[in-house]
Amino acid sequence: MAKIDYRKDIQGYEQLRGEIEILNKYGTDYESHRGSVTRVIDRLHPTRLQLKVSEIKKETGTTKTIRFISSGRRLPPFQAGQYINLFVKIGDVRTSRPYSLSSAPHQTGFYDITVRKVESGFVSSYLLDELQVGDELESTAPAGYFYHNPIFHGKDLVFLAGGSGITPLMSMIREVTDRGLNLNIHLIYGSRNYEDIIYYDEIEERAARHSQFRVTHVISEPPSDYTGCCGFISADLLRDVLGDVSDKTFYLCGPDAMYRFCRQELSNLCIPKKKIRNEMFGPPADITSDQYWPTQINPRTTFKVTVHNGKTFPAVAGETLMASLERAGLSVPSSCRSGECSLCRTKLLSGTVFHPRSVKLRKSDIKYGYIHPCVAYPLEDLLIII
Amino acid sequence: MMNDYDVVVIGAGNGGLTAALSLAKNGCKVLLLEQHNIPGGCATSFIRGRFEFEVALHQLSGLGTESQPGPLRDTFRRLGVLDKLDFVEQENLFRIVLPGKLDITLRACRDDIVRVLKDRFPAESSGIDRFFNLMYLFSTQMIFGVYSRDPEISKTKYPEFFEYAAQDLQAVMDKYLSDPLLKLSIGNYWSYLGLPFNKLSFLDYAIMLFSYIELKPFHIKGSSQALSSALLDAFLKAGGDVRFNCKARKIVVKDKQVQGVVTADGFEISTRHVVSNASTLTTYLEMIDIGDLPESIIQSFSSRTIGLSACGLYLGFDCEPQDMGVTESTNFIYMSDDLDRMFRLGRTLEKPEMVMFSCFDVEDPSFSPTGAAQGALMATSYAEPWLSVPPNQYAETKYEYTQNLLDMLDLIYPDCREHIEEAEVSTPLTHMRYLGHPGGAIYGLDQYVKDTNLFVSPHSAIKGLFFAGAWANSGGFQVTLASGESAARYVLKSLNQ
Ligand SMILES: Cc1cc2nc3c(=O)[nH]c(=O)nc-3n(C[C@H](O)[C@H](O)[C@H](O)COP(=O)(O)OP(=O)(O)OC[C@H]3O[C@@H](n4cnc5c(N)ncnc54)[C@H](O)[C@@H]3O)c2cc1C
Ligand SMILES: Cc1cc2nc3c(=O)[nH]c(=O)nc-3n(C[C@H](O)[C@H](O)[C@H](O)COP(=O)(O)OP(=O)(O)OC[C@H]3O[C@@H](n4cnc5c(N)ncnc54)[C@H](O)[C@@H]3O)c2cc1C
Ligand code: FES
Repeated sequence: MAKIDYRKDIQGYEQLRGEIEILNKYGTDYESHRGSVTRVIDRLHPTRLQLKVSEIKKETGTTKTIRFISSGRRLPPFQAGQYINLFVKIGDVRTSRPYSLSSAPHQTGFYDITVRKVESGFVSSYLLDELQVGDELESTAPAGYFYHNPIFHGKDLVFLAGGSGITPLMSMIREVTDRGLNLNIHLIYGSRNYEDIIYYDEIEERAARHSQFRVTHVISEPPSDYTGCCGFISADLLRDVLGDVSDKTFYLCGPDAMYRFCRQELSNLCIPKKKIRNEMFGPPADITSDQYWPTQINPRTTFKVTVHNGKTFPAVAGETLMASLERAGLSVPSSCRSGECSLCRTKLLSGTVFHPRSVKLRKSDIKYGYIHPCVAYPLEDLLIII
Repeated sequence: MMNDYDVVVIGAGNGGLTAALSLAKNGCKVLLLEQHNIPGGCATSFIRGRFEFEVALHQLSGLGTESQPGPLRDTFRRLGVLDKLDFVEQENLFRIVLPGKLDITLRACRDDIVRVLKDRFPAESSGIDRFFNLMYLFSTQMIFGVYSRDPEISKTKYPEFFEYAAQDLQAVMDKYLSDPLLKLSIGNYWSYLGLPFNKLSFLDYAIMLFSYIELKPFHIKGSSQALSSALLDAFLKAGGDVRFNCKARKIVVKDKQVQGVVTADGFEISTRHVVSNASTLTTYLEMIDIGDLPESIIQSFSSRTIGLSACGLYLGFDCEPQDMGVTESTNFIYMSDDLDRMFRLGRTLEKPEMVMFSCFDVEDPSFSPTGAAQGALMATSYAEPWLSVPPNQYAETKYEYTQNLLDMLDLIYPDCREHIEEAEVSTPLTHMRYLGHPGGAIYGLDQYVKDTNLFVSPHSAIKGLFFAGAWANSGGFQVTLASGESAARYVLKSLNQ
């Protein structure tokens, strides 16, 4: 501003000053707005949820449904198909795992997750074998993009599920049938054998009661007298049970092997990519089977990882950097643990890591050396900032 | 007393980043705190499927060309990031369509604009000339008189400036122009400021339109995230420290002087200087103990209103823009020419009557993967109606609302809908969540005629506390990026005392 206040010579200036004076007296009282932003945001996206186990139900020999109620504020809403990241402390290790909510969003009083035991699985074993009714856990608020988007998914949905991949889809099935939404669902559910089918009775019952919902079970290791669909979810099978496949949106959720197989089959059916929605399901079980993995690196090689201004710890090439961090008692924020949400975004100062192609790194993150430790595998000694 | 840091900067939006970088380059020990996991605030991107979506930047103003640099280019040069960025010049200001009534495209060139307008509105030929003459004269006087701080600024030296600086755009347009569609065409950028012509300062509008024409609109390769990331990288190289996922909860004040900052995870940092890129209101209301606030400070906001936010639909398409008939980067689609009504609709969840659609791949095919394109469909809107949506109806409400936006896009690009491969919605609540600002406001407080920078002096209620960003003066990339540099100058002055 110039020394002398020239502004009073501006035509209309005095009038504006007058207006400001009046409004200063009679305008908005912002004192009453204290806390309002946090209140609004916490209703939809609180940073942490305090959960308490209210019920544990056995689903199959290897699967249980765990029901959580809130021991804090009201549970936030979610879109059927979303997941929470559940924090656990097992021994000295603090870690977390994402689990899709299998209950329907209109059941606002609780969240269900359904966990299948993974062979020597660290967290799944804990949840299935140790967790008791009444235990308290923390989680993130629901997140993720695997849900029905009415803007472009249309009304005819085909769900391709494998094993525990049924969980997010079950939430959608429950919502659509309970609320009678104007959508048609055909679930094609691959399981190893009959006993492995999660929610079998409920699925059958819903299919019988609601014409908008149909189901086809596909059994990969059928007993000799089995007459239903067997093998894998192939193009032929899809054509047989669906008839016209155009204009349908496909939702895929299941183990790695199933994704690879089903994607190929869908492409044989000429289904455009935009009609195929995939849920991620954590880091690959065996990273060395990734087609781009540098074969000269032995996955058991141990490298040294140093945190800038912090400690140094060992990390095995075949394990995610996030797991090594957690074993060392360190942590970075996480939600999807699949390379998608970017919450764990970390700066790499030196060294190289391997990321599977599915990682979602921004262009500028690649340029400036950021990595997603949840799906980053060390290929050298590393220096990182956390 | 030993301080952990010379300066703590709260928030890594445009203003926070340029403040932090500027200070670090000047040898200060700076800590930058950001609640999100990535720098940029509005100036960021997110990934869905194979698309990296631009969140905010539609048209960068103030950059200018290499031969005719604008102030923003100089800022980038001083901060050492100019050669880290690739800019894409946009040929056109915009295409504006009101189906059946108006459909013109204006190039970023005064003569061309005047010619196109005269072709479309031949009866108003002389009014168009006179309006553009006035706008240019006014803007030049503003630049020489006010921006360059002419000590001899006076009514006789800068008559047009003194006559029009406190007028609204409606009044000035009414003087020269009569067809409402002509006014709409010239005043189309009103939505970048969010107020209808009769509430919009002629000063703010003239300078904006003038600089888009003279300095050209630009986009950034790799999205505005490329800019934020370049600023952050330069900051780290200059010795700055940053903490992401780290919200500043409290500014410790004693005897009206900043003493330190406490983070949400309870970490205490001592410093005598804070630059806040959080909203001014939030900083005063939420981060400083009531007892330490000067009494009149909250009162001094009474005359202001919380500014607009936006509802957006980010679209990934499985084809190139031409395949859908999209040939302009920036498009404005209207359903009527009644701005007052549109402004009112912005405070409801009813179908809006104006939407803008940007498709960056038109001029930068590398923006999206080969054979694909992305578009941002956006309506300006206030947070109010969203605040009363029950949480369990939020998702449905936002999809319904954005279907309306798509319906409008359908009218001029009917093939778009069937090419959608990804779609993500944002509402004022989304902006509120990611930025932490009241109302999810993306340009700070509303800027009515009485609120232009000319009439509002910057706050400085507490020693050591400074502001950068949209809430410090006004919004938009150019202004907020500059605001950080200017906050840094104030801090340096104070540090040297
Ligand atoms: C979006 C999403 C939704 C999901 N939904 C479901 C669902 O509904 N139901 C379901 O059953 N599963 C679901 N999963 C998978 C689930 O998150 C877990 O991956 C699964 O339960 C196996 O975890 P685990 O710890 O038992 O297996 P592990 O294989 O033991 O754990 C994975 C990693 O943990 C590391 N690890 C092992 N031991 C340690 C240790 N001592 N310290 C630190 N790290 C160690 C290993 O490196 C291993 O790679 C979902 C995943 C995603 C991404
Ligand atoms: C959809 C959209 C379209 C737009 N289009 C354009 C356009 O075409 N041209 C244009 O010029 N402008 C445009 N803008 C406006 C422009 O992006 C903004 O005005 C500008 O980026 C605001 O910058 P800022 O410095 O105020 O910081 P903001 O972007 O508001 O960021 C503030 C930062 O502070 C952080 N923060 C807040 N509180 C805390 C705390 N307590 N602790 C730690 N961190 C905190 C936030 O997380 C955020 O990162 C658009 C904006 C949006 C959203
Ligand atoms: S936790 Fe989501 S990207 Fe790593």
